[in-house]
Amino acid sequence: MFCIAAFIVLVVMAAFSARYRRYVGTAWNCVWRRVTFRPCDTTFKQDVKDHLLAPIAARRPGLVRPASITLEILAVLVILTTIWSGYTVVKSAVNLYVYGTCNKQDSASCTLGAEACSIPDETPGFIESLGAFDVIGAFGNEFASLGETFAAIPARFQTWTAEDYLPADATFFAQDAANPVALEVIDPGCTFCRALFLNIEESGFESDYNLTYIAYPINGTDGYKFPNSLLVTQYLEALRLHPLDGAETPVDWQILERIFTEKAETGLPWQDTINKMDAREATDTLVGWLGEFGLSAEQIDVVVAEAGSDAVTEVIAANKTIVEDKINTIKIPTIIFNGRRHDGLVSVDGLQ
Amino acid sequence: MKRSTLFRRPVPAPLDTSRQGDFAYLEPGEVYLDAACQSLRPQPVIDAIADYYTTYNACGGRVKYAWGQKVDRAVADTRTAVLGLLRLSARSYAVSFTLNTTYGLNLLLQQLPGGRFDRVVTSHIEHNSVFLPTITAARRLGLPRLVLDRAADGALLYEPAQLEKAVVVVNAASNIDGRQLTNLADLVRDTHARGGIVIVDAAQAMGHARGLLQKTEADAVCFSAHKMYGASLGVVVARHELLASLELSFVGGGMVQDVREEDFDLVQGDPAALLEPGLQAWGEIIALGRAIAWLGDTRPGGLAPAEHLAALSMRLYDGLAEIPGLTLLNTGPSPVVSVHAATQDAHRLAVFLSHSQVSVRSGYFCAHHYLKEQLGLPPLLRFSLGLHSTVSDIDTATQTLTRLLKGLS
Repeated sequence: MFCIAAFIVLVVMAAFSARYRRYVGTAWNCVWRRVTFRPCDTTFKQDVKDHLLAPIAARRPGLVRPASITLEILAVLVILTTIWSGYTVVKSAVNLYVYGTCNKQDSASCTLGAEACSIPDETPGFIESLGAFDVIGAFGNEFASLGETFAAIPARFQTWTAEDYLPADATFFAQDAANPVALEVIDPGCTFCRALFLNIEESGFESDYNLTYIAYPINGTDGYKFPNSLLVTQYLEALRLHPLDGAETPVDWQILERIFTEKAETGLPWQDTINKMDAREATDTLVGWLGEFGLSAEQIDVVVAEAGSDAVTEVIAANKTIVEDKINTIKIPTIIFNGRRHDGLVSVDGLQ
Repeated sequence: MKRSTLFRRPVPAPLDTSRQGDFAYLEPGEVYLDAACQSLRPQPVIDAIADYYTTYNACGGRVKYAWGQKVDRAVADTRTAVLGLLRLSARSYAVSFTLNTTYGLNLLLQQLPGGRFDRVVTSHIEHNSVFLPTITAARRLGLPRLVLDRAADGALLYEPAQLEKAVVVVNAASNIDGRQLTNLADLVRDTHARGGIVIVDAAQAMGHARGLLQKTEADAVCFSAHKMYGASLGVVVARHELLASLELSFVGGGMVQDVREEDFDLVQGDPAALLEPGLQAWGEIIALGRAIAWLGDTRPGGLAPAEHLAALSMRLYDGLAEIPGLTLLNTGPSPVVSVHAATQDAHRLAVFLSHSQVSVRSGYFCAHHYLKEQLGLPPLLRFSLGLHSTVSDIDTATQTLTRLLKGLS
């Protein structure tokens, strides 16, 4: 065990100092024999240990034995942490490739991936499970998650077609029969969805694609990530069920455009304003906008009633299934166009 | 109450505690106790080799320019000095130079003529420099190999009949415990009487116990200059008859008089050249000459080197014998003392001692068969003295080891 740990440490040290490179070969010979279940045929382990213990022996020989035991324990820890680090690196790399984030549980925390609001993984993490003395659960969840990630690898190779994931009653920001379809998964409260919307407008993306969306309010163990996202989504879906005839831009898209691009009287973007509102204020605001966007009082009543209906609840649930089981993304926004799935915020250049 | 002097340990004569000026380059606090491997070189020897490299750095042998002739003279002087040291005559013996003792022994053993000998004889306590070449020589010549015991005093235990047409190869002093081949003269006489030859490994003897070898009638004496205060060099002192009988297979420039397409003529009248193919280590040979002169002149603490070393050996032996938990292999004082601790690994102790600036050898000292196979011992710790050693060195080593063993136990 000790020579394996020493090899690991020496490899790292040899990367920075030629002084240690001469020992790496010797250490490797020892490690190779160890991992092939043969006794180490060199005195490498002994040499390294003795040289580490020599300063202690010179001052306090009585401390050599406990120091030796400590070294063995440290060696075990070095190996365990190295194995865990290696595993984490591989897992993160695969996650980054498959999901666009190195941290599947909290995708927003990974700086290597595109910016996004993460869909939290509610499965307890490895350390969390160990903390709860659930060793089997810790390893079980960990390997199940890894298996899920590997199983999702083929999805990265597939050609993504937005039409395959369209929600019921999809509405389009702009529509041209000659344009291909693009689909974005958004949470109305997510700041990166607002950024994506701004990029879409700046790039003229909506002129090149028939853009539609799935509103997906991000839910976690403590409720919705953005408290009014579900409410907004309910109104968006109700408007899709009862579209306003003759509207150049569907009213649900007008609501999204306002949330993402316009500011309230306070000077704050509407998205931030709505995120801070209580349900009553948010409802009043949305209802007020419906009038502004041309709905009559009767039509508004229908939409308000529909927003709280089972039909809308079912649509939202169906959309959730599409996002979680079919698209299988863990980052919001996600946008599908040009045969690919893009997880997280896409730049103006990326959209062009 | 005063103790009886009858049982009191005799008080050793006061020793000079200062280090000889010729080793003044040694850093204060450094304790080098591995002279059995390689002795420290006194300043005059270092100066001699530096002088060669800086003032007349030329090849010897058939050189007509002044530097080369100076080298030839110095090399010839060294050959003479070697024979003088052993009190042997150039009429019977020649001095050849090579890499080290092992190389010298191999040059002889691997070129012995076939059909002349009936057996190869050696002893259990031999260094690998003897033990291994006797194995390969016996195999090459198709002879049985006899491995004999040595008495506690170092004498080879043999029946005369065992020496019948034998190639006897033994050390004159052990590199484990310094025991000496006390019956060398008898061995040579008995071997010669039965048509055999005796080749002596004198690596450990030439530094401090060469009295045993002086005027020897052995057929060859092999030793290393670097164990007797010279630079790194091997020396073979061999009888002319032995050299002439060799079936030479290791040949090259410097040992031929003329060369034709399919044959060559060996140089005549220079038997030493038969073991000296190729360019020689001129500087090292010259340094050996200076080392021999230094050994003759030096008076550590006003004493002859052997006397001085005997006193230091006694102190070392006593010091180590008093350390609890330590087992000595030696049965008496010697400049070479090997020990082992029941509960501590010798290599670890050597590393720990090294951290306290005490340099000692650990392991089996190239005597694996005897120490590991025959005695079944763990790796050992070896302390070996040289003329650079001081009382303070010995005390530092024994005190440090005592403290270590006490703390580690």
